[in-house]
Amino acid sequence: MVFASYFDDAPLKFSPGMEQSPMYTLVGITDWGRDIMHVYGLTTLIVTFVFFAVLIPTVYVLFKFRARGEDQPLPEQVKGNHVLEIVWTVIPVILLIMIAVPTWQSIFKQDRAVKAIERGGQALKIEVIGYQWWWEFKYVDYDVVTANELVLPENTPIAFSITSYDVIHSFYIPRFGGKIDAIPGKINKLVYYSPPLSDNASAMGDYYQGQCMELCGLSHALMRFEAVVKSKEAFQKFIASHNTPPQVKTEKEKRGEVVFNQCMSCHTIAGTPSADLEIVKIGPDLSNFGNRRTLGAGTRKNTMENLRNWIRNPLAFKPGSLMPKFDLTDEQIEDVSAYIQYSTAKDL
Amino acid sequence: MTALAHSTQTGIDNRKFGMWVLIASECFLFGTLITNFLIHKASILPGTPGGQQVFDIEITTWSTFDLLMSSVAMVLALDACRRRDLFQFRLWTAVVVLGGLVFLGFQYYEFSHFLHNDFGFTTSLFASSFYLLTGCHGLHVLVGTLWLGTIFVTSLVRGDRWFNADVVETAGLYWHFVDVVWIVIFTVVYLYIYL
Amino acid sequence: MATYLPKTGVISWLTTVDHKRIGILYAASAFFFLAFGGIEALLMRTQLLLPNMTFLSAEVYNGLVTMHGTTMIFLFLMPLIAAFFNFLIPLMIGAADVAYPRMNALSFWVFLFGGLLLNYSFIAGQVPQVGWFAYANLTSKVFTPDHSVDFWILGIQVVGLASLISSINFFVTIVNMRCKGMSLLKMPIFIWASLVTQILLFLSLPVITVALIMIATDRTFGTGFFDPGVGGSVVMWQHLFWIFGHPEVYILILPAMGMVSEIIPVFSRKPLFGYPVMVYSVSAIGFLGFAVWAHHMFTTGLGAWATAFFSFATMLIAVPTGVKIFNWIGTMWGGQIRFTTANLFAISFVCMFTIGGLSGIMHASPPIDYHQHDTYFVVAHFHYVLYGGAVMGIFGGVYYWFPKFFGRMLSECLGKWQFWLYMIGFNMTFFPMHFLGLQGMPRRNFTYAPDQGWELWNVVSSLGAYITAMGGLVFLVNVIYAFWKGKRAPADPWDGRTLEWSLTSPPPEYNFAVAPEVSQVDDWWYKKYKPVSSSGSGQLEKVEDPPYQPDVEDPSSIHLPNQSFWPIVLAMGITVIASAFFFPVSGLYVAGTGILITLIASYGWSYETP
Repeated sequence: MVFASYFDDAPLKFSPGMEQSPMYTLVGITDWGRDIMHVYGLTTLIVTFVFFAVLIPTVYVLFKFRARGEDQPLPEQVKGNHVLEIVWTVIPVILLIMIAVPTWQSIFKQDRAVKAIERGGQALKIEVIGYQWWWEFKYVDYDVVTANELVLPENTPIAFSITSYDVIHSFYIPRFGGKIDAIPGKINKLVYYSPPLSDNASAMGDYYQGQCMELCGLSHALMRFEAVVKSKEAFQKFIASHNTPPQVKTEKEKRGEVVFNQCMSCHTIAGTPSADLEIVKIGPDLSNFGNRRTLGAGTRKNTMENLRNWIRNPLAFKPGSLMPKFDLTDEQIEDVSAYIQYSTAKDL
Repeated sequence: MTALAHSTQTGIDNRKFGMWVLIASECFLFGTLITNFLIHKASILPGTPGGQQVFDIEITTWSTFDLLMSSVAMVLALDACRRRDLFQFRLWTAVVVLGGLVFLGFQYYEFSHFLHNDFGFTTSLFASSFYLLTGCHGLHVLVGTLWLGTIFVTSLVRGDRWFNADVVETAGLYWHFVDVVWIVIFTVVYLYIYL
Repeated sequence: MATYLPKTGVISWLTTVDHKRIGILYAASAFFFLAFGGIEALLMRTQLLLPNMTFLSAEVYNGLVTMHGTTMIFLFLMPLIAAFFNFLIPLMIGAADVAYPRMNALSFWVFLFGGLLLNYSFIAGQVPQVGWFAYANLTSKVFTPDHSVDFWILGIQVVGLASLISSINFFVTIVNMRCKGMSLLKMPIFIWASLVTQILLFLSLPVITVALIMIATDRTFGTGFFDPGVGGSVVMWQHLFWIFGHPEVYILILPAMGMVSEIIPVFSRKPLFGYPVMVYSVSAIGFLGFAVWAHHMFTTGLGAWATAFFSFATMLIAVPTGVKIFNWIGTMWGGQIRFTTANLFAISFVCMFTIGGLSGIMHASPPIDYHQHDTYFVVAHFHYVLYGGAVMGIFGGVYYWFPKFFGRMLSECLGKWQFWLYMIGFNMTFFPMHFLGLQGMPRRNFTYAPDQGWELWNVVSSLGAYITAMGGLVFLVNVIYAFWKGKRAPADPWDGRTLEWSLTSPPPEYNFAVAPEVSQVDDWWYKKYKPVSSSGSGQLEKVEDPPYQPDVEDPSSIHLPNQSFWPIVLAMGITVIASAFFFPVSGLYVAGTGILITLIASYGWSYETP
């Protein structure tokens, strides 16, 4: 089947203040994000000032000095004015220095933070790897690999190492700060404190949206992800439960487990034979799929219907997707969806 | 040409001046290629030969010498053209063309020798950048040789209907530039690895 | 043979070496390609009108994104600017023609064939989908196995060659062929802008040439310059592309600045405010333009020091740019501003460019750029600079010089309709993109979700695009009407300041019957306005009988460069060589044929009497 659209019509619920515009860029809630907003605010102020410094004289000139009738005697032939020209050279220089100084402070502050981690500073280390068109997150200290849902503990220094498996992507969670490119063959570092849990966080934590920002091929528009901030205890629970084997409860799920054998060459579910294959997997890790809010790299809600449709024809979901259309019966699709959806849901 | 084109503001012939501008542009072309080579100087995949294994500095020195001498001949050819000495002009132009052909022969020998030693275009980034840089230069030598060869043949055909010295000088500028670039390439590519 | 070629009809256009005719050919092709680029834009805006639209597939949309950017920059703006260079440079500096008339024809045909080669990708059904800056390694054989990227590479390569040829030509023309008395600081400011533009062109084009060769060998022969797997660097492509790409931006904007600097003084009846400072600022922008390329790459992780350096260099460019803006205001100050269509476009350039410049200062600061990069804020920014700036400025030039090109006046009434449709449509399309960018909407997305809050401004933006399209249609009508029934243009309809207005409209094929001589900037104007003799107060008054260029009784007595077939043949040869890449089996034979044609044409060219 072909979808009428690529995203769900009903909105996902994000943390307060983000309902309308989850990608809104003008709020920073991490230390880095706030630094940027400081520069941003100051620059906006200066730029607005300059805008009016140009606008007001322009409008004045256009009204005051418009031609009145033909055959007027020539206006005074002024060829220039050195004093004025020096003034409007020097003032911009001063304004630019006012922007440049906090800019540099911000750049070097982030640089120092990265270097501090490299010298052995304490932080939660996460490897971010972009794939066409989804995200992988590796918690290197815990041997945990997850996809498309970045789980973070609150108020913790996080050290990201960002790279790509194939082409250039760009890793961006607007609320947490700026974007940085995920480049094949290059590792970009980013360090900041995760934000605190908000007052009205849901039981699962606070959800923030992220998205790939660099054209990375056909389905670049369909490469979103979510960041979830949890309490430190909830985060430990996530880590501890992540690699436990799936709980296969019903007959359906059991049949699905068998069908999943066809998926193993690309997908991994921790604690099953799929995790033992010594190959590079080009599909997202599904170990805790049942706990995720979205599927298809943050494009749709994680519902049984969406999952079935995805398996039925991934290319309609995501043009160019590397996941082929498998030759499965409706029943098999139903079974494997149940397995992926229910068995992997950890008790958090 | 046209009524107004007889004298120029700078006093330099349009063609000559255009050649200078082209040379400025070419500097950026070779600058990019040389930078690219320097960046990939160490990008030698394990098990593939590097410069020290395949380069034969002696042969390249001879071909460098050959190109340098052809530049000297170019100076003499231009001088002869200005003096209106047809015989000397033909002689030295022929020497320049011969020098170009010999250089291309050296390069052909060198490349086939490299290919024989498993040092091909796609062997490593070092090899790719090497071939891109020297190949691009070889192409310039080829164009110059064709150009000066044409001038030589034309001078045989035309007899005493003379070349404007500006035309010869334009070709000469190009030839000297190609020569100078080779000296840079020789230093950067060949000599550098022996330092 | 060349002497016997006809002076009228199709053959005369194919073989012309007259800079004015070549200018017209450039302009015609530029607007032809504008239709492509414009329709591409409208299709994209229709797809983005509402969230979740399936009007276009991802494949088509990504193709349109790429072709819209590439077409507008390489096949619309650059040739349109080249049209003005061609037509105006010799006239403004008082020369009979450009330095190399046949090279000039060659560069036009090479450009045209390159543009057609690029657009042939639509017919071949393999449209490049990698964006106009074609970041590696999306362009590699692995991620783009078909020929789409080859079309892009070779199209740009061929078009770039055309620009290289013409830039050398114009540079030599300006430096060498100025009329008597026109020292560098007496050149019209448009000529100054052109001169700096040519320098930027011939110094930056070789860099992209090498980059394109590298990516072509990567794709065709399997080298790994941009393949991280064998030690290549994908960031290297970005460096090479932007070392060319950033000067390219100034290549597009400087000539527009030059035109505006000619138009505003004429319609204010005052000389340009601070001519020397304008010259210095043009040069400074050109010079700094080579030191800021990495500001396109702040998010690639350049390292703190490089980031800081490029951010500062970028901010520095704001200084000469700001000086120019205030000098334009200074020019109008105290003048008698006539709101002709040309002047409206020129003034709108100043305003729109200011907005684009200010948003540019914002993302000159890397921390801010970390947010704005690759969002619609950047799309808004560069459209304000290149569309609100360059295109509006050049439309001012079109209205101003059209009478000189064709001897007909464009309708002022239709012109004002076009201007207001453009102004309203443009601002409606692109101002909301600032908001979309602040709301985090990524650029180059073929669709977007309904839960992002981007609906409102996308609707406004798309409606604006349709309004702009109507403005474009009005322009088309205006041009057709001008040719059909337009008022005959006098020699000097605007009371112009530069030499071209001393000629009839359109100018005769030989340009100047009498070699002009100048003694100051805007010399023509001072030949029309002399001090009132009695008072000595310095008050100027228009003379009764300005010294227009006389007609020549027997035009055939003036020797003009002969028409030639060789430029178009040579251009064909070059294009055939380039297209060899599309024949995997018989490629060598195709290339051989191309080289043969090129050689024959080169020799035919060399032995032909010019």
